[in-house]
Amino acid sequence: MRITLEEKTATRRRIVAAAVDLFRSQGFDATTTRDIAHSAKIATGTLFNYFDTKEAIVAELADEALAKARGALAQATSQSTFEEDLFTLVATELRQLRPLRKFIAPFLETTLSPIVSMRRAGADDTRIAHLELVAEIARRHGVADLSPVALQMYWALYTGVLAYWAADRSPKQEDTLALLDESLHMFAAWQFSPAGPPQIERHAS
Amino acid sequence: MTTRISELIADLPVESDDLASSVPEGAPEQLARLSLQPVPIGRFRRLSALGTLQAKIAAAYLFHWLRGWFKNADENKRLLAEAHWRNAIRMLDAMGYLRGAAMKIGQTLANFPDIAPREFVETLEQLHFDAPPMHWSLLREMVFNELGDDPENLFAKFDKTAFAAASLGQVHRAQLKTGEEVAVKIQYPGIGRAIEADFRNLFLFLLPSRLTRDWESTRDQMEDLSRRLALEADYELEAANLTKARTLFHDGDGVVIPRVISQFSTSRVLTMERLEGLHLREFVAGNPSQAERNDVAIKLLRAWYRLMYTGRMLYVDFHPGNFLVLKDGRVGVLDFGFMMPFDGDEWERMRKIDRPLTTGLQSDRIAVLKEWNEIRDDETDRLRVTDEFGEWCWMSRYRGGNYDFSDEAEFRRGIDLFAEMVRKRYNRARPNTPAIARSQFGWRSIMYLLKANVDIRSLAEIEVKATGWDRSAYA
Repeated sequence: MRITLEEKTATRRRIVAAAVDLFRSQGFDATTTRDIAHSAKIATGTLFNYFDTKEAIVAELADEALAKARGALAQATSQSTFEEDLFTLVATELRQLRPLRKFIAPFLETTLSPIVSMRRAGADDTRIAHLELVAEIARRHGVADLSPVALQMYWALYTGVLAYWAADRSPKQEDTLALLDESLHMFAAWQFSPAGPPQIERHAS
Repeated sequence: MTTRISELIADLPVESDDLASSVPEGAPEQLARLSLQPVPIGRFRRLSALGTLQAKIAAAYLFHWLRGWFKNADENKRLLAEAHWRNAIRMLDAMGYLRGAAMKIGQTLANFPDIAPREFVETLEQLHFDAPPMHWSLLREMVFNELGDDPENLFAKFDKTAFAAASLGQVHRAQLKTGEEVAVKIQYPGIGRAIEADFRNLFLFLLPSRLTRDWESTRDQMEDLSRRLALEADYELEAANLTKARTLFHDGDGVVIPRVISQFSTSRVLTMERLEGLHLREFVAGNPSQAERNDVAIKLLRAWYRLMYTGRMLYVDFHPGNFLVLKDGRVGVLDFGFMMPFDGDEWERMRKIDRPLTTGLQSDRIAVLKEWNEIRDDETDRLRVTDEFGEWCWMSRYRGGNYDFSDEAEFRRGIDLFAEMVRKRYNRARPNTPAIARSQFGWRSIMYLLKANVDIRSLAEIEVKATGWDRSAYA
């Protein structure tokens, strides 16, 4: 029997919806792929035609949310400073990611974390899409080219804030806003310090 | 004061990263805890960046002023006191909210333009009005988090620039879609918990004081203050205070309390009717006549007594920025964050105080003060100083007739008596005493600023009737 693209898309949506319901009701760790398949009324084997793991489901949701955030950002007006524009970028992403907050940890581990060794397919795309926006913001504020060190520093701060947010127990995650504000201020101050970012001496190996 | 600012700043403790060197012995465990303070911290960074020099000047004056209290003490005590204050100032530099709290103390001093140095007054005013610490993107997220949408969608207009700094946040002009002009107060994220953390840290630096007999009383007072400041972070509570206070005033009172727009208010965002007028200091700068000054003073005192006797709550935060003189002559009272409600026990104490406040008899006063400050019969000097201070606090009321609040020497006498109590560590008292003292110095400082010459007894006698107390034995 031939399955149409429409049917495939509908099944995919059903799997994702069932997974989100289960992650929310019984938690990410307690949910198995078998539970998801059962809830989506498909065979477990069929589920694997769509997603290798439950982590991949979260990653897809997160990618969608981040793409939506990029769309919203394209409509947003630029703020007065580099720091503020960066803040808007991350805050807009957090807004879109908010429904996934309680089970975002696997996405951080498989896609965003600077220390992950086995990246999932597509992880680099997510990272590059975000860093391109950062570079664009920097250009808007007069920094033609953010150095690889600056990008790495930024990425460490960014993923640190996301990790903090995932576990933030303060009311409406307000502490994350303060931490994000502090982190970006630090990064911007370093980037725009009168002496410029520290120059790294390179030695021939 | 003739001391130059540069000399005062030079006299400040040297800023150092080596905080450990200033930690009292026996506190390593607490220091370890301090260093593990959870992120995020330092959300007052912008305030500090904008006001570093100003903050230093303010701290320098504060230090100089405090040192003056100890000038007659013996060398050891003076050095010990200085060491403690140096530590405290170092600590202030490292902390968020308490730096703001120090500014608040300074702002109270700033109400005494002839006593506090002019540079100090100007410095503190700048700190209060010119430092918008949250950028628009952060503020927008706070509004989104709290009200569920962006300010530009919720309001017809929303001014991106703050027009005033509030104690724990900042205030923006806005217009509702109904056309009503409002003021929206927005809190710094997480500031309430930062206050509690800062106070916990301050306790560590007060540890040397624990050796005195009154340590427990001091600790209780600090805890009370800490609790009240934390409550100040709850804008829902402030909204409830505003709403209650608003019902207490009528057209003829000449007092306006802004209406809360509850649809746009939460524990972190407070939207109120916006009153337009002159802040007290702007009003005074316009050289109003004595009659105009007295009129404003009477309305302020009426508000204070009404809140106290009918509303059973004490208005604590007397800062000139919290009062507006409207074009039609009415007086607007703005900030209800720091209110002290009188519960059953405290209300009973208020009833007892009414007697010496009314009779002015020393015997009545001493009976109340001994109970309030737990003074024993053999503590004669403590009783003398406390009584003199009590007399200073209450005299303007029990004497009746017009009282000249512009008398600088009399004003200094009150400050000196308070300083003497602090110097001699006569700090045993009810836990809420610091809040009451702040209110007491606060209203007196406002009267001094206005150079008011008014009869407060007749005002109080009208307002106290609302209590229903049986005063037949002394009134």
